[in-house]
Amino acid sequence: MATRSILVRLAGIALVCFIKTSYVGGETTQPRISSEVNQITELTIESGRMHVGNPTTGTLLLGPEARQQLVVTARVLDGRLVDYTRLVEYESKPVGVITIDETGFVTPLANGTVCITGKAGPGMFCTIKLTIREINKSRPINFPNQIVPIFTKSGCNGGGCHGKSSGQNGFRLSLLGFEPKEDFEHLVVEGRGRRLFPAAPERSLLLRKAAAIVPHGGGRRVSEDAPAFDLISRWIRQGMPYGKPNDPKVAQIQVLPDHRLMSQNQEQQLVVIATYTDDSTQDVTRLVQYESNEKDMAEVSKTGLVEVGEQAGQVAVMVRFQDQVATFRVTIPHGAPVKEGLPVRNFIDQWVFRKLQTLELPPSQRCDDPTFLRRASIDIAGRLPTPTEAKSFLADPNPRKREKWIDTLLASPGYADYFANKWNAILRNKRRDAASMRGNFLFRNWIRESLYQNKPYDRFMREIITASGEIGRSPAVTWYREVNKTDDQVQDAAQIFLGVRLQCARCHHHPFEKWSQKDYYGFAAFFSRISRKPGTQSGEEVVFHERGTAAAINPKTKLPAKPTGLGTESLDIPPDQDPRHALADWMAAKENPFFARMLVNRYWKHFFARGLVEPEDDMRVTNPPTNPELLDALAGHFISHGYDLKDLIRTICQSQTYQLSSYPNRYNSNDGQNFSRYYARRLTAEVLLDAIDHVTNVQTIFAGQPRGTRAMQLPDNSYNTSSYFLKLFGRPNNASASESERTQDANLAQSLHLLNSQKIQEKVTSEEGRVVRLAKDTNQSDEEKIRELYYWVFSREPEDEELNIALNYIQNTQLASADHETLQNKLQEAYQDTLWALLNTKEFLFNH
Amino acid sequence: MLTIYGRQQRFCDGLNRRNFIKIGALGMGGLSLPHLLKAESLSGVGNSNKAIIMIYLPGGPPHQDMYEIKTEAPSEIRGEFKPIKTNVPGIHVCEHLPLLAKMTDKLILLRTIVGAKDSHSSHQCMTGRLKDNPPPGGWPEIGSVISKLEGPTHPAVPPYVNLTPPMLHPPYNFGHPSFLGAGHTPFRPAGESINDMMLQDISLERLRDRRALLKSFDRFRRDADQSRLMEGLDAFNEQAFDVLTSSRLLEALDLEKEDPRIRERYGEGTPQHQGDAAPRLMGQFLLARRLVEAGVRCVTVSFSFWDFHGANFKRARENLPPFDQGVSALVEDLHQRGLDKDVTVIAWGEFGRTPKINKGGGRDHWPQVSCALLAGGGMRTGQAIGITNRLGEEPKERPVHFQEVFATLYHNLGINANKTQLTDFADRPHYLVDDHQPLPEVT
Repeated sequence: MATRSILVRLAGIALVCFIKTSYVGGETTQPRISSEVNQITELTIESGRMHVGNPTTGTLLLGPEARQQLVVTARVLDGRLVDYTRLVEYESKPVGVITIDETGFVTPLANGTVCITGKAGPGMFCTIKLTIREINKSRPINFPNQIVPIFTKSGCNGGGCHGKSSGQNGFRLSLLGFEPKEDFEHLVVEGRGRRLFPAAPERSLLLRKAAAIVPHGGGRRVSEDAPAFDLISRWIRQGMPYGKPNDPKVAQIQVLPDHRLMSQNQEQQLVVIATYTDDSTQDVTRLVQYESNEKDMAEVSKTGLVEVGEQAGQVAVMVRFQDQVATFRVTIPHGAPVKEGLPVRNFIDQWVFRKLQTLELPPSQRCDDPTFLRRASIDIAGRLPTPTEAKSFLADPNPRKREKWIDTLLASPGYADYFANKWNAILRNKRRDAASMRGNFLFRNWIRESLYQNKPYDRFMREIITASGEIGRSPAVTWYREVNKTDDQVQDAAQIFLGVRLQCARCHHHPFEKWSQKDYYGFAAFFSRISRKPGTQSGEEVVFHERGTAAAINPKTKLPAKPTGLGTESLDIPPDQDPRHALADWMAAKENPFFARMLVNRYWKHFFARGLVEPEDDMRVTNPPTNPELLDALAGHFISHGYDLKDLIRTICQSQTYQLSSYPNRYNSNDGQNFSRYYARRLTAEVLLDAIDHVTNVQTIFAGQPRGTRAMQLPDNSYNTSSYFLKLFGRPNNASASESERTQDANLAQSLHLLNSQKIQEKVTSEEGRVVRLAKDTNQSDEEKIRELYYWVFSREPEDEELNIALNYIQNTQLASADHETLQNKLQEAYQDTLWALLNTKEFLFNH
Repeated sequence: MLTIYGRQQRFCDGLNRRNFIKIGALGMGGLSLPHLLKAESLSGVGNSNKAIIMIYLPGGPPHQDMYEIKTEAPSEIRGEFKPIKTNVPGIHVCEHLPLLAKMTDKLILLRTIVGAKDSHSSHQCMTGRLKDNPPPGGWPEIGSVISKLEGPTHPAVPPYVNLTPPMLHPPYNFGHPSFLGAGHTPFRPAGESINDMMLQDISLERLRDRRALLKSFDRFRRDADQSRLMEGLDAFNEQAFDVLTSSRLLEALDLEKEDPRIRERYGEGTPQHQGDAAPRLMGQFLLARRLVEAGVRCVTVSFSFWDFHGANFKRARENLPPFDQGVSALVEDLHQRGLDKDVTVIAWGEFGRTPKINKGGGRDHWPQVSCALLAGGGMRTGQAIGITNRLGEEPKERPVHFQEVFATLYHNLGINANKTQLTDFADRPHYLVDDHQPLPEVT
């Protein structure tokens, strides 16, 4: 792919002129010359197309509809590329063949070859040749290729207008024009004479509505003098042809440039070229749809002009034309120098720091030991360190102690509990009723045991996808209980293991992806032979493969689809073979482009709060990773290490990147996607509740669970009903394969609960609890007690000032006390208040 | 003395449990005069926040016994009630709704709601959607949508408040933000969260000490959190301390602060839960008005129990007069305070009831058609929309879809429901309302 785009770019450059070339001027408007003009070392003008035919004719524009957007690029002294499309003056010779406006947009007037010059300043210009042919040859207009894109570009067939499944006010189009045949049926065949008048095309309701000549709920979408209006008129005049079956179709679209480093407030003109199945090309720059994925950072006009704002970072602009998509990526550097030779601990740092250098975004410092200790304990095992662990870690002089601690955590049961809790939600281990309880418990234990034993991830997936038999023997069958319909299995499997959102393609072509219903039903066929019968225990089921040919009926074509991995050839699976094994084989194959990338991205997000692709399970061309090389490297590492999950975690946590401080430096306070620092986040519901229990030493009791069960160890979602805390802080209900079901939003009720609930108050004031015992302890000084409390809450020593605040608070209570009993009560209260306050600090509530 | 409705009720015990939480001793210390004055000035009584008060009638009220008495139907369908004239010529309502009849010029009576499902659930009234094929995460309620789109009007006031105490039949209950996430759960001054609003065995003075202590300890650098959630937590903590010391929210929830004549106009009702549904408390309508004045954007409240499978007319006689009194008081009150342009009131249930009266003198479920009452919101009031056929079985003219009502509610809030999108857990965008426009008759 990369090679190809370079080829196109080289081929599209018609002529490159250097400073000393003399410039032959003509009559032009007032020059619009930038201050940078003196720094230009090279000026290039491009059409984005491959040459067709004789190179001396330059880019070929064929037929009356052909247009051409040109892009002029200046290379300046420091090597940067700057868009000059709107900064140069254009002149074309001979006159009368084309017109070109100041945005670099060419409209042909007559047949002939023309040389266009773009002038940036004295002696600084570039030229390109265009040849116009067949301008008077009226060719039959093709409905899918030429008319449908107008509906899409003008927003007629969007989901809010005529593209809704029920249409709008009786006029229906397919969503985003993915079904041109249906559109033709509705518009031409069914509505004959109603919307289209071939005798007087401009009187057609279609055009009169679109141009708002008659009242139109959607307002004016196409003005009467627009080329689109003319094109539709001509199409109607031609008798509304659909096009011939062998007319070329769009095979690919390419955007030029495909990536650019831009400074704040700069602009960049794009050119989009469609290549058709007959290898012909068309400029479709003004026919495609654009969408920026970070509208705060960059906006795109309908004509393909990208304007970036003040914010530095990275943006992707999606370009869509019919069923093809392409992406233009923008990097906007921060403008701060990044030292060469940042400390690299493994390949992760290499790619992250390379990116930060490109972005001119210096990373934060490495975090200190107490922060690392607490951070890793929470991220790997979902718990806080004990004071004993903290003290021995901090005292350990071994320079490799962080690595040792990572290994200790990975070997601990806490790791298995924490990640089992994560997967339990993704795999939707949901309690439906009392009868589902056995499955809930067994499935959670199976997940936990798989993680504890470090079962390779491909095997983990295979055992779930191919699960057969009854729950007691094969607990992974429980997945098929909640995910019980074929559509759910297709969507969950694709989203969880491949990061592909196939659900759109069930009913229509995916709007941002290449997936169509063909892909959907090909994938669905893998699940088509699943059968069920009642299990030995009431309310349970046995899942088995029912002999037969695997196929799923595509409701649109009514044809059976054979089992097909995404983007691969269909498979012929013998009736005796469970097709799910073939699916697992395809997913787990080393060359599968989705499987490993999805998992490493999911785990990356676990540790860094943000995926390299975000959302983590929506991987597609139009949603590119912020650091593609890193994602590839992580996936490669994961595959070559045998899908070893613990190794992946170890690799991530050992990186310098993971160990960066969450405190920003002068430059990176707004960085939320390049990992120039650790992104702090609030503890999740379960971790927070367990942490409060750990600090207060008062265990929450969950109904039906043995004493001492931590929130992290709960087998399913049913405890969210009985625990107001878990529900309030957003523990998921295992209702969705998406981890976004877990909410980390704050609200008033949460604050009230932490600050003032009876539950928290009881934990803080309990006679059995940590702080009352500490207050009563006569063997330790107040200072020693505060130090200990700090270890419980923050895994660190208090700073002098903090110590003073606490000691003052405690000692002030003693001043006001008259007798011993009051003093004791006041003292206890002062300790309770201190613990209460520490529990409500951001340092406690966040992992940072 | 602060009176707040709350505490979970069980209908079947027949005991006269404590139905109000009296918070005098706990809360009085904080309710100083300056606080009150400050709250008053901040609350901007008569402000122009657009809001919705949704009154849910669980069980499904009998449409043919409320706004369209079928006088021409045979007696086994017509029933026992007679129509009376309203102050709008040509519109008649049930004889047990005399107060509403006197102010029908301020109401819109929807008599032909269609698109309901035969299911005892508040889901459709709250979301405008059917339960079938929900998007990942499920459909959010209108209050959560408003919370998401508009946020709070004031930091100390949540945008969405649900006044309904938990009802015994689970699907009657609402308060589900669904795919909008827990941040848009309604604030519910009941159960644990109302307990959390009252100081737990500590004095106000000690709370102040704690607050000061927390402030001096809590010096962690906020800029460590790029998502700015830390700052959000600070804001919510301030809001929480506000609630705990004396806040507009707590004030708004305190009916003792209200003019006794107004309280009398609304009436008291009974805090006892009816059937497996809600209490019959007209005072909650007054609370809703107070909350809206304090800046809440959407208040939901459930009223009584309307699943009249037996003794339809006896039970309607018990329920219609309190409904008449409470709703008419609310509409009148909103008009008197100049809130009628800003606040939309809607009262409805999940479906209508069978035309034919059954053996037990009751009416069964009838999703084919049902009714609703609308008021305020700057709408063109004083009309009845739709006519059912002679037997009240189905719309004869102008069926009104649930979603048209939702489009209207959003329209009144200044939100274009056909153009505004929200994304579900799978990031698929959804319009607030598909395929239906606001009622052209009223907008």
